[in-house]
Amino acid sequence: MKQKSMLVLALVVIASLVLAACQPQTIVKTVEVTKEVKVVETQVVEKTQVVEVERKAFTTPHPILSDLKVRQAMYHCTNKLDLVKAGYPLISDEDAAKLIMDTFIPKNHWAYAGEGAVQQYPFDPEKGKALLEEAGWKLPEGANVRQKDDGTVLALKFYTTTAAFRQAWAAVWEKQMAACGIQILRNHVPASWWFGDTTGLQVRDFEIGAFAWVGQADPGGQTLWACDQIPLPENNWQGQNYMGWCNPKADEAIKKANNTLIKEERIKWYKVVQEEYAKDVPAIPLFNRTETFSAVSTLQGFAPTPGEEYYTYNVYDWEIPGKDTIVIGFTQEPASLFTLVESAMVANLAAGLMGFRSYTSLNYDFQPETMKQLSTIENGLAQNNDVEVKEGDMVLDASGNPVKLEKGVKVINSEGQEVEFDGTPVKMKQLVVKYEFRDDLKWQDGSPVTQADFELGYKIACDRESGATTFITCDKTQAIEFNGLSYTVTWLPGVQDPLYFLAPYGFYPSNQPIESEGPYKGKTLKDVPAKDWATLPEVAEKRWSYGPYVIKEWVKGEKMVFEANPNYYRPVKTKNLVIAFLTPENAEAQLLTGAVDLLGSETLAGLTEQLVNAEKEGKVKNYVIAGATWEHIDFNLWVK
Amino acid sequence: MTSYLIRRLFQMIIVILVSAAASYALLNLAPGGPLTGLRQMQQNSRFRITEEDFARIRAYFELDLYLPVRFSRWLIGFPSGPVKIFGQELFANVPVGCYKEIQATFQDAKGNFSVRTIGCKEYVYLKDLEGRRVSKGVLRGDFGNSWRLNRDRPVVDLLVSRIPNTVKLMGISTLLALVIGLPLGVYSAVKQYSRFDYIFTSLAFMGSAMPTFFFGILSIMIFSIVPNRLGWFYLPAGSATAVRDYTIPLLGTVKAGSGLDQGLHLVLPVFVLTIVSIAGWSRFIRGSMLEVLRQDYVRTARAKGLVERVVIMKHALRNGLIPFVTIVVFTLPGLIGGAIITETIFSWPGMGRLYFLALGDSDYPTAMAILFLTAVLTVIATLLRDILYTIVDPRIRFS
Repeated sequence: MKQKSMLVLALVVIASLVLAACQPQTIVKTVEVTKEVKVVETQVVEKTQVVEVERKAFTTPHPILSDLKVRQAMYHCTNKLDLVKAGYPLISDEDAAKLIMDTFIPKNHWAYAGEGAVQQYPFDPEKGKALLEEAGWKLPEGANVRQKDDGTVLALKFYTTTAAFRQAWAAVWEKQMAACGIQILRNHVPASWWFGDTTGLQVRDFEIGAFAWVGQADPGGQTLWACDQIPLPENNWQGQNYMGWCNPKADEAIKKANNTLIKEERIKWYKVVQEEYAKDVPAIPLFNRTETFSAVSTLQGFAPTPGEEYYTYNVYDWEIPGKDTIVIGFTQEPASLFTLVESAMVANLAAGLMGFRSYTSLNYDFQPETMKQLSTIENGLAQNNDVEVKEGDMVLDASGNPVKLEKGVKVINSEGQEVEFDGTPVKMKQLVVKYEFRDDLKWQDGSPVTQADFELGYKIACDRESGATTFITCDKTQAIEFNGLSYTVTWLPGVQDPLYFLAPYGFYPSNQPIESEGPYKGKTLKDVPAKDWATLPEVAEKRWSYGPYVIKEWVKGEKMVFEANPNYYRPVKTKNLVIAFLTPENAEAQLLTGAVDLLGSETLAGLTEQLVNAEKEGKVKNYVIAGATWEHIDFNLWVK
Repeated sequence: MTSYLIRRLFQMIIVILVSAAASYALLNLAPGGPLTGLRQMQQNSRFRITEEDFARIRAYFELDLYLPVRFSRWLIGFPSGPVKIFGQELFANVPVGCYKEIQATFQDAKGNFSVRTIGCKEYVYLKDLEGRRVSKGVLRGDFGNSWRLNRDRPVVDLLVSRIPNTVKLMGISTLLALVIGLPLGVYSAVKQYSRFDYIFTSLAFMGSAMPTFFFGILSIMIFSIVPNRLGWFYLPAGSATAVRDYTIPLLGTVKAGSGLDQGLHLVLPVFVLTIVSIAGWSRFIRGSMLEVLRQDYVRTARAKGLVERVVIMKHALRNGLIPFVTIVVFTLPGLIGGAIITETIFSWPGMGRLYFLALGDSDYPTAMAILFLTAVLTVIATLLRDILYTIVDPRIRFS
């Protein structure tokens, strides 16, 4: 007995020690700091960031990688087709060739510079070797790895994640480089370290690194290729130009491309960036990842399309002849249907069945969905006016932050030049856009969508207590005026968002009755303050639909059951739709035994032998499309 | 007896509290958490996350409060504002957390960078907690709201959806394993070195050596995918129930959610779990029985001329069971805790899988709820074991 009490006592002591250790320290002992850091320079950046470094970091060019010839040689030594086939062993040569990228924009994207428009580096090991010779990297007799005359070995550290897919293609790349006499020291590190907030990529702790970017309908790219987006200790590691690539021509072009609203202009500027990117080789673009879907062979109407992330965009057209229920398998359960706070892919897919988007982005371009049409300058729904701004006005500054205009603030004037405000009024561009919605929008109970619903949509989206991550759209809005099923937004002077033609705010059913137990029972949705929306079942689990399906039941951990919405503005072909929650390990077995009809790309990592065989037997149909995500190898041009 | 139980109860409460504190601290100290990747997530998109946004989201998850304060709010729902006594507000200006931290980048001798928190720019005071959402506390039966898996909705909803499935799966397989494994082990011990014993020990050895995931996938192939392809009678490959009616050769149409449907879905996971348990338990029983059978009192019983059945069942088995009680009793936490691997292989919506997801998604309130329940059940199992000892072994007394 005594022993037991001692044990308990010991546990209490241990626990209290642990707890005491957890108490965040508010005062730091300077002694501790100086032990490992020689403090030479102290500056305060972004108000909360103190930087103490020995010297300016990342100012010494990388001894090997800063040489363009070496980068070009590595590019020539890379056989992208073999890398694709290493990652996707079951794919045909033809499909594999379609995935290869030669710049940072996918080939079927509107901003792609065009086949052959940029410098090409075809797979040519001999040329690669010749370039290395020129750069002074010689292959000594009998050696496998090149050296410089001073004995420096051509060995480079390569970092990427532990994903099996990356291990597969990286092993092949390592061999390709070895064939040219380049030694790659391959490190597969946990994604949590590689993509951590204060580790790996973010603090540029690599020589060569591989990861993926996601291509979007708006190519963006300013945080990736601009000179002021190089993460450094001085700027609190802001930006994603991890390579440290600073090319003045590309820098100017990427900014221009992101600050004009005319599509033709944007295409021109993106072409410049792509040309410079190809010339400088700060990275080797490799290939688009595939997106794999597998469905029973009888499913009709299913058409996953590159550029459109949500493959349920045309769910109203899906049908399986002779069946009144379609079952989709999900390997992750949506956490909530309140898409303002929950933005996971599966949540958007499920909420999408009930309608939540005003547009689609098939083939990396935009099509109106609940909007009547895109609100472009060309069709007159948007105006880009010149306005005069003076001290004290809210504007968007040159780096994209909404600020009060005062002396010293840098803004972009109506001529497109960056100027510092000195007290004299400046002319800036101001967008005024009218967003119009379809007249036949109805809620699931048959009542029409009203102006009050749009007003509620804006109110909730901009309430700081809603739990949303960012309010930047609200902060950029100077004024909003509602008029029936349309609203006009006057954006802050300086807002020149290339996607200005897409409606920024949605709508909520202001008259949805609240039936769940709690303080709001018997009231309607408009009476519920934003802070309680996320916890309200009517919002999180039983949201009202204006889309093709209405949610009937959600059994946590098992399934979501939907029924066709008779008040949707299009006919819906299949009466019932069920989302079944499966584990990735079990999903294929359920498809093959007919328990589910469709597995999406978020479930399938790629084709498997089983799926290929099942397709041969006519049981399923596999869909492989080029995904938006693309792999690339980045060179860190500087040493820390 | 009563005083013993009261003393034990008191000890149990302390053990549970300590284990709750320790697991809460460990979860929160482990790297990662719900804010991982938040800063980066927004960078390439049109949105930039500001320091203000970051602080607000951090506060949303209560990560701005000091760990002991957070723990106390989780445990008993206190403090939720200044302490009020006779209308007087006390300790309103005591800092209980840090809303905005000061971070600094350091470089060590090797040139590596690290970012660390060196101070606080904006404190959270006790008075700021007023109006913040807070649970009633675990001790009052409120596990709070989930952070991720069931975002902002009660953790209890998640538990309620998983516990019946888990109890069904674990209960049936444990019971089956006992009913089959116990006699097998006893029989094999009594007939030591017989042909049966050789076959049985080899099979049991294979059963316990075979990894569950391999065995699970194998059984899906053999009993589900292959017969389905051939148009024979097959078993559902996974999930607890079907989501629509289906046809199985020989059985005809099975209605989704019916008793038959649920039964069919149970067969494979129960089979896998049972086989693995039988293999382990029966070998244990065999060993324990063999030892008892060699004892003098068994020889005495035989010498007395007792029938072999009485010798085995009454004299040997009862003593052979004593160590086995420990093993069986500790399946109790497992009844709620579930079986992660089997559940994963069969898409079984159970607690094991839920726990795994909660940890992977940094849903600490959910993970803590499961840890807490498991701790409570483990402590109860310990008590149960001690009481059972006195029943199977009269030599043991409460003291």
